Amino acid sequence: MQEIWLLRRVWDVDSDRLEFEEFYTAARDHCLRVVLISVGDRHLADDLVAEAFTRAWASWRKVRGHPAPHAWVVRTALNLHVSWWRRRRREVPLGSQGEAVAASEYPGLDNSLVAALRRLPARQREVIVLRLLLDLDTATTAQTLGMSSGTVASYLHRGLAGLRRDIPALKYQEQMK
Amino acid sequence: MNGTSLSDAVRSGLAEARDSLSTVHMTIPASNIMARADQARRHRRLGVLAGAGGLAAAAVAVSAALPASHHQTAGHSEPAVRLAAWAVTRLADGNIQVTFREATDPAGLQRTLRADGVPASVTFTGQRNPACRSITFPAPPFSDKGAFRGPLTKVLSFGGPANTAYGYPKDALVIHPSALRRGEGIQIWTAGTPGAADNFELHAGLVQASPQCTGS
Repeated sequence: MQEIWLLRRVWDVDSDRLEFEEFYTAARDHCLRVVLISVGDRHLADDLVAEAFTRAWASWRKVRGHPAPHAWVVRTALNLHVSWWRRRRREVPLGSQGEAVAASEYPGLDNSLVAALRRLPARQREVIVLRLLLDLDTATTAQTLGMSSGTVASYLHRGLAGLRRDIPALKYQEQMK
Repeated sequence: MNGTSLSDAVRSGLAEARDSLSTVHMTIPASNIMARADQARRHRRLGVLAGAGGLAAAAVAVSAALPASHHQTAGHSEPAVRLAAWAVTRLADGNIQVTFREATDPAGLQRTLRADGVPASVTFTGQRNPACRSITFPAPPFSDKGAFRGPLTKVLSFGGPANTAYGYPKDALVIHPSALRRGEGIQIWTAGTPGAADNFELHAGLVQASPQCTGS
């Protein structure tokens, strides 16, 4: 009966493969653009997103049931970026030449809001990306980041306050309490 | 004039930045991504089926699950033990079920599917038909909650735990012709060692129908 089991496992794997290929095709550009906004370097964003999708495929049985698989990919890429940044800071303590190149290549990355977003602490940045750029609700954001809804709300509040301080010219209207 | 809240202003500003990146595309093929992960978890890799006894047992298990009243067409392999390489069955709900045991006689399978009204291209050479153009899905169905389910998986289902509830055996590819849109067809191909009839990975996807690819 071992052969039957193997055959069935092969079919299970193919079913997953079909699903993942479709998910990847549908989500890859969107995830890349979101990560590119967050990190500012095209080549780095490519690498981070590719690695995040690789991990998604390695854990597809888990990721496919996630309420927002694309957010899982973005969050993984941003976590990888934090690790990459820590390593790079130890190895090459120089300015961010890659970001300057990226900014001139993609004018959309040049605006003050995107720059201010990148200056936020990692957790605040992640919450803003998931809540406002991916448009996830608080509960899904909390599940994706492994924190409580209250913590998400707190990071969002602090992140927005940071952006407001950093960009005095940001046009908005204070909400009535 | 209505003002916007801070979060709305940030949301709108970030969306604008994202939309300005519409020329940015991820060019790495899905197969490369999966190959990287598969290498890392080699111990979980599957794909080798050996032994005619096992294949015969699997074939019996599948045949037993098929209602006898269904119209069925089968292909044959050449080796000494003459088993049906694949079987195409029209199910009562209008869907078409393809059960594979060996990757042989692709022309016969292609002919059978086309005769059943499915524009199809079938290759068992380890390569896709180069005349076929795959269909991609630029608009991600991100609003979906729960497991990802996009246009492709509405047309094609591999047997598996999620589909046994619909009565599909675990070892079959099920085509849902009613979900195919005009101008779409199906491509079925194998990866793995060309010519190794009992050692293959089966792939399927949507393509643009054309005379060179799907025959119509």
